[in-house]
Amino acid sequence: MDDLKYGTRNKRGDWAPNQPIETAPLFAFPPRLLALAKWLPHYFFPWNAIFAASAVAYWAWVIPPVETMQTLGIGWIAWLYVVNAVCVFLFYGAFELHLYVLKRQKNRFKYNGKFPAEQKSKAFWFESQNLDNVLRTFLSGVTIWTAVEVCMLFAYANGYAPWLTFAENPWTLALVALVVPVIHEFHFFCIHRLIHTPLLYKWVHSVHHNSVNPSPWSSLSMHPVEHLLYFGTAFYHLILPSNPILMLYQLHYAGFGAIPGHVGFDKVEVGEETLVDSHAYAHYLHHKYFEVNYGDALIPLDRWFGTWHDGSADGEARMQERYRKRKEKLAARKARNTIGEAAE
Amino acid sequence: MSDLSTWVPACKLEDIEQEGAIRFDHAGRTYAVYRGPDDSVYCTTGLCTHEAIHLADGLVMDYEVECPKHSGAFDYRTGEALRLPACENLRTYPAEVVDGEVRVALG
Ligand code: FES
Repeated sequence: MDDLKYGTRNKRGDWAPNQPIETAPLFAFPPRLLALAKWLPHYFFPWNAIFAASAVAYWAWVIPPVETMQTLGIGWIAWLYVVNAVCVFLFYGAFELHLYVLKRQKNRFKYNGKFPAEQKSKAFWFESQNLDNVLRTFLSGVTIWTAVEVCMLFAYANGYAPWLTFAENPWTLALVALVVPVIHEFHFFCIHRLIHTPLLYKWVHSVHHNSVNPSPWSSLSMHPVEHLLYFGTAFYHLILPSNPILMLYQLHYAGFGAIPGHVGFDKVEVGEETLVDSHAYAHYLHHKYFEVNYGDALIPLDRWFGTWHDGSADGEARMQERYRKRKEKLAARKARNTIGEAAE
Repeated sequence: MSDLSTWVPACKLEDIEQEGAIRFDHAGRTYAVYRGPDDSVYCTTGLCTHEAIHLADGLVMDYEVECPKHSGAFDYRTGEALRLPACENLRTYPAEVVDGEVRVALG
């Protein structure tokens, strides 16, 4: 597959798509019905369908009976941790093995020309991005994921969360299922903006940003506080008229859904002919430029708040304009301070 | 130009790729030494002004170095910060090539 038909590669070997990223037409005004109809299948396939299916599979085969979950017991909690850990290992591991260990795709469609294993950095435990990321994923990521899951299931089992049945409320639940990704996007944007404030960035979010060249294991490589905020997306279902399966979908959307955004490749080649979009470029640009794209492109929040970068020259110009203003402000502040000091 | 006594040999010119940079540590401080597209040499403080990341690991293109962490950019001839999130300029030091050796004035 020739990735240069779809993008360009710079002298460092970094690949960038030709087409600017588009925000989803979901919130366009006036509504763009044709664009919406074209986009809708991408909303479901393949990623959202995978996370929804995994939630159903969990409910069918993993989640213990309601009576068991009415009391907190080490047995079922440990069982959930083990299943989550195994699923993360298999799902994340499959991408890692295919793209980063066997390098089946070489660096075709890879945003950053280098592979993390080639670069040692003191920012990571044992100076290894992979080892650091894997340990953080299993030590705190899966643990906090499981803890949130247990809290929510305990709440459902004891009647503390509104539990509608699919038989009685199919339309309400279908609507909730549809907005699960929207809830995720809104929640993620808010907490992400929060942890980019200087103090929280320094102590919490910088851990995630150490992975400048993200790979699958970077997805959940976070500080425990960020894990808690991130998986806290499930707590919306404490007040939403919902169902445990949709709560699991929300959790899986966060847990397994972190992968596409950090996979490091714009497209994953499946067989000779098929390309699956990762939709990762917006978040890759966030890792690269740091103060753009706090959300993904589902709700145009970054557009509304002026932090959108679509990868185009225009996006770059907008970012530079923001920069110019910031520098002017800083220069003015410095001048004021100097005058103040001179007056003293 | 600084006092000659402050000139310190940093490396050989051939140690730095054209449009490249290397890290140079001296007296407990770290610097970045650059070789421009026309073989001219420059020296700046070694760490990005946004977070303490070594700029010599960044991408050098023309007279710009891009920080490897968040892609803040600097003009390494003047030290001027050119792109978010780096807002503070880098300190620069005189550099020259004498008999194939790069020397920097760190006074
Ligand atoms: S550390 Fe250099 S731009 Fe952030």
